[in-house]
Amino acid sequence: MFNILSLVFKYVFIVIIYMFIFSIIKLIYLDIKGIRPIPADSGTYLKLINRKDTLPFKVKEYYPLEDNVFLGRGNDNEIVIKDPYISKKHLRIVKDEDEYFLEDLKSANGTYVNGDRVMDVVKLNNGDRISVGQVEFLFVNKE
Amino acid sequence: MLNRGVNYKIPRNLLFLFESIALFLMFMYYRNALDRSTIIYGLSLIFIIYISNLILSKIVSGDNYIFLIVTMLASIGIIMIYRINYEQGFKQIIWISLGIVLFFATYFIVKRIKGWEKLFLYYCLASVFLFLATLLLGRRFKGAINWISIGGISFQPTEIIKILAILMIASYYTNYDRFKEKKWGRYYLIGIMYLFVFFLFLQRDLGSVLIFCSLFLALQYIYDENRKLVLANIVVLMFSGLLGYVIFPHVRIRFETWINPWEYIDTIGYQITQSLFAISEGGFFGTGLGLGHPDFIPEVSKDFIFSAICEEMGILTGIGVIMLFMILVYRGFKISINQRNKFFRIVALGISILFGIQSFIIFGGVINMIPLTGITIPFVSYGGSSMLSSFIALGILQVASEELDIEED
Repeated sequence: MFNILSLVFKYVFIVIIYMFIFSIIKLIYLDIKGIRPIPADSGTYLKLINRKDTLPFKVKEYYPLEDNVFLGRGNDNEIVIKDPYISKKHLRIVKDEDEYFLEDLKSANGTYVNGDRVMDVVKLNNGDRISVGQVEFLFVNKE
Repeated sequence: MLNRGVNYKIPRNLLFLFESIALFLMFMYYRNALDRSTIIYGLSLIFIIYISNLILSKIVSGDNYIFLIVTMLASIGIIMIYRINYEQGFKQIIWISLGIVLFFATYFIVKRIKGWEKLFLYYCLASVFLFLATLLLGRRFKGAINWISIGGISFQPTEIIKILAILMIASYYTNYDRFKEKKWGRYYLIGIMYLFVFFLFLQRDLGSVLIFCSLFLALQYIYDENRKLVLANIVVLMFSGLLGYVIFPHVRIRFETWINPWEYIDTIGYQITQSLFAISEGGFFGTGLGLGHPDFIPEVSKDFIFSAICEEMGILTGIGVIMLFMILVYRGFKISINQRNKFFRIVALGISILFGIQSFIIFGGVINMIPLTGITIPFVSYGGSSMLSSFIALGILQVASEELDIEED
């Protein structure tokens, strides 16, 4: 009886072990695939600096910027991030004559560009670090 | 991200299924000698592993794979040990449970306390103290003095020194600029490492010599700015290897049995030839648990556990174990690349290299690919010190997988 069970189970074990390895490789693959290449058509975008799986809410790796973009927790924003430390309407990025400006919309926890709190409006340069709530973005402007 | 909870369940449940079936089979195997406590211990281990994986995926913000992989390895190991030796398996269950507790303890302690990179001197002193204690109080066991026993509890200090050495190397290279200003600052670490290797030679612990040398070489190769020193180090190690071959007879024996084990099949080559027989006996799918004869190999539950796995569970499972180690080391490297804190970056790299080297040396050893040196496979082999220290190392790796600098702000 035991011999038969053992003979059958040896195949079962191998199948389970390989399924286990496969499922972990799949998870790792999904993890790596999450890092999408930069969208080629948009020259200006926000790039996430935090590692994606360290944040307990949904956030994309890249956010392309248009002429007028709102960022906040509320669903009516162009960039929606469900971070509790982000206000409903947190900030606005406006394009004006090929220059990008960031405006803090009186958010509770503030917006920081390169470590300095934004009091009113600030001009964005390529490579600026914008931090809102627990999220940190890199501002990239290739135009 | 969306169906994260669903995704993580699959490997966790597969692990649970594997353990349940294997345990059931083991209870069948020992059906005449089964008592209540064994069943309770076995079932509680499955429970502990499942719960820890569940808790871990909830509380940590870092890597979720390494603990899963390690618990799978530990499960394969425990099943095999339990099948070979009833009592050892029983003890191993306790060691694994203790290891998991230590893993969580290490995780919280290392995460809470800041300033690990500043303790260079203390890591050195602690290691040297442990080495001296081993030489003075140590027992000679199979040619090597690497056990000390205090109050009935015996352990291998080398296992702890491995972790201390990684922390030491990491703190050295984190503060490299400060050390460089001193006159002999560039040579501090290399001096200390040679001292360690010297101590290990005195203990005649060849496997550990190999581990320490390759660990140090790898980290030095990556982080040392002085390239000539790296080259000099490689040359010196090669010459001391040759010297060791000429001077120490036990090094020569290892080498000769590696070249031709069949000539010494009755004496010094017995172990390795039995291991080769066992692996070939198993074939692709193995003989089935409890149907082979892994007990023909001496020391089968420690160094030669891999041959036993290959015999009874098949070469395919053996390849699976190697693949699990590959994923583990890969994850370790990825953690190291993502970590921005320099100290933990080096520590993560060191720990991954340690796991990789250690498993490579013993896998290569038992299949006679490289000369055999008796060391344990981390997480798989029988042995308390090795299991506990590996889980401590894993706890540190788990901390290193998290974003550390941001939390300090």
